[in-house]
Amino acid sequence: MMTLYDYELSGNCYKIRLLLNILGIQYRKQSIEFYPAAEHRKEEFLAINPLGELPVLQDGDLTLRDSQAILVYLASEYDTAGNWYPLLNPRTLAEVTQWLCFANAITASASGARLVDGFFYNLDGDACRADAHRLFRILDEHLWFQERERQDWIVTGTAPTIADIACFPYVILSEEGGISRMDYPAIRRWTDRIKRIPGFTVMPGVFPAGPGV
Amino acid sequence: MIDLEAARYLWHPIAASSDLVPRHVFHAQILGREMALWRADDDNVNAWENRCLHRGVRLSIGINDGTELLCQYHGWRYANRTAGCTYIPAHPADAPARTICNNTYPAVEHYGLIWSGDSPEGPLPLLSTVDTSFVTPLRAVTINAASQQILLPLIQGYTLQLSDTGDGSLRYGADTPDAFTIILRATDTSSDRAIPAPDIAFFLQPVDAARTTIRGILCGMDEHNTDPQALNDLLRFHNRLLCNIRDRLEKAMADEPAPTPWIPIIPTVSENQASMPAINEDGRSASLRVRVASIESLSPSVKSFRFEPLSDLPEAQLPASQPGAHIDVHLPNGLVRQYSLINGPGQTDHYAIAVKLSLPSTGGSQALHEHLREGDLLATSAPRNNFTLRRDAEHTHLVAGGIGLTPLLAMARALHHMGRPYTLHHFVSQESELFFQDELQTLSGSYHAHIGLNPSQTAVRLADILASPAEHQHLYLCGPAPMLQCARTTAADLNWQDHTVHFEYFANPEERDDSSSFDVDLARSGLTLNVPAGQSLLAVLREHGVTLPSSCEQGACGTCRVAVLQGTPDHQDVYLSDAEKARGDCLMSCVSRARSNKLTLDL
Repeated sequence: MMTLYDYELSGNCYKIRLLLNILGIQYRKQSIEFYPAAEHRKEEFLAINPLGELPVLQDGDLTLRDSQAILVYLASEYDTAGNWYPLLNPRTLAEVTQWLCFANAITASASGARLVDGFFYNLDGDACRADAHRLFRILDEHLWFQERERQDWIVTGTAPTIADIACFPYVILSEEGGISRMDYPAIRRWTDRIKRIPGFTVMPGVFPAGPGV
Repeated sequence: MIDLEAARYLWHPIAASSDLVPRHVFHAQILGREMALWRADDDNVNAWENRCLHRGVRLSIGINDGTELLCQYHGWRYANRTAGCTYIPAHPADAPARTICNNTYPAVEHYGLIWSGDSPEGPLPLLSTVDTSFVTPLRAVTINAASQQILLPLIQGYTLQLSDTGDGSLRYGADTPDAFTIILRATDTSSDRAIPAPDIAFFLQPVDAARTTIRGILCGMDEHNTDPQALNDLLRFHNRLLCNIRDRLEKAMADEPAPTPWIPIIPTVSENQASMPAINEDGRSASLRVRVASIESLSPSVKSFRFEPLSDLPEAQLPASQPGAHIDVHLPNGLVRQYSLINGPGQTDHYAIAVKLSLPSTGGSQALHEHLREGDLLATSAPRNNFTLRRDAEHTHLVAGGIGLTPLLAMARALHHMGRPYTLHHFVSQESELFFQDELQTLSGSYHAHIGLNPSQTAVRLADILASPAEHQHLYLCGPAPMLQCARTTAADLNWQDHTVHFEYFANPEERDDSSSFDVDLARSGLTLNVPAGQSLLAVLREHGVTLPSSCEQGACGTCRVAVLQGTPDHQDVYLSDAEKARGDCLMSCVSRARSNKLTLDL
């Protein structure tokens, strides 16, 4: 059984738990106390990931760090339908990768603000917030025009991809960093749709959606 | 600065119609006031104060279940339209107080937008100079600036800089009928342009002191006759233009200090709602006026009646009800009768009852069946719920006899909508007495009709149905007295716990004995009164100025319940369960008397 080195309040760990749950994969959780013990910076964990970052996934002899890389692995290895990471379509695959990088930018900004407000990190919270709003404007605009084309997801197609999973956690947790989503109605509707994906699961600070029609 | 006081009385756009997708809650803000905006399954748009009355959590993160909005924190449910609280999970056996009603704001749909405001009066902005037979909303763009700072840059952005876009022939003339409306008319209407140039109306939504949303609509362009790709290009073109205006303005204003946010005043509960409704001399309040909107025959002997408010004004709105609630209907012949509401969840624009003509009638059912016409006006009480439905049972058993289906129908509709498991049994003497068949078949709970059973067969069937009481299962009974007695006895014999068996009688079948005389001490009022033989406790209390709500006045409905502090009551009612009667801590003042010489009441 695979092992996820996990921290309950981490959005990057949450995105892995989310995809594992959606794909119905059994796994073992190994808790690493990010705050306040900072176990991710201790020798034992640095031996697993020298970058000292969560999450890490161990599947057999494979040890994988970086949440986006783990999503890529899980989707290509375990999603038999090939929807979550569409390997066969170069254009779609490139678009997914483009939004995985965008998700990293969301992490750097929206998660940064949350680390300042909730975990006492010494970062510039206002700069993080301003940058998150800049990114949210871009995402909201993208999703608004996707809706016009009757597209529910970030990358055009009939099913969600790991791009949606990668962007979701730090968007939905943004208010913990003082970033309101009121001005992003298309993002708010997209988060409702993600919450209605079968197998969706919550984490502290993320509320479930009611049934759709 | 904008005139904030004057702006409170205007209609402002707060969303696009297309923003309110099914089962979604839109997070809106106008003049500093946050609103939870949601469309119910019946298409009604609700604009509510964005806070739960319980712990103040934003309702915009709540769940729109199509008929009610649920708070994420403790699951309080608020009804479509009225925003009255219908259920509090922490108090599953109680009907929420009618004062638990959220603030609502008017909301109308026009020009493809949702319009609301603090206390809007008068008409919506009139667009007399442009063609609004077709409107296409642009993507709304929010700018971190006050509305008066946006007016000029927006007009300039459209009138001066369009030549930069490579389409030099496009020119707009601007007109600003009020401080929040800008009309741009294309001055060159030649049709050989690369993209169409319809007239545009812009509305500036003053979100907060330093935030404004630009809501634009393209006017007079029939989307169905426009190439979808061309339309998308046009929407992207305007979106880019507006975003550029936004980015330039925000950059220019980057060093300006942010103004203080507007603090909205959140109204407290209205006087009308906070005060107790006046009680008539006969003890029944007839606080509502309704119009008979329609009458329908459900079976040869059953008709349903739909009552609607007299106007669309908010003050005429009917208070929300919950499953199991009843209203007093004040009939034209002077009689007052109680009928269970059959409304399903979210059906808050009317009250619906179903009435069986019972002959010989004592006047109630006959007056409704034979004399009431569509369009007639009636007085009713507000809904009262003494037969509340718990929504936390693992399984709910609903057992109805004849017209006793009515409260259980409302319950079945609610349980179905919430996806809670239930079983509904309907006992009737002949097939023609069944009603709401089609709907009951489509609801999720299993439905069983039992037709033409005699009393002993009914008893056997009830014993079957109630055979295996399990924990966390609840039983709701409503029907004629002999059937109820039988079902209650059967349930007790089969070890159903007293608190899991809920029942409602049509009327008190027992002969009441009012031959005793006794004294009552009123602990709060400091009065001692004598109740003589032949007079009810309720009547004596009223004579001495102690007003109590009442409804059926025969010990069946539970409305005139009073707490007993000392003494032994002689109950005589059919509302309380045997265990409740044995506890002796409350009585029904309309029929109950005393076994001891004196009772001390919590009045």
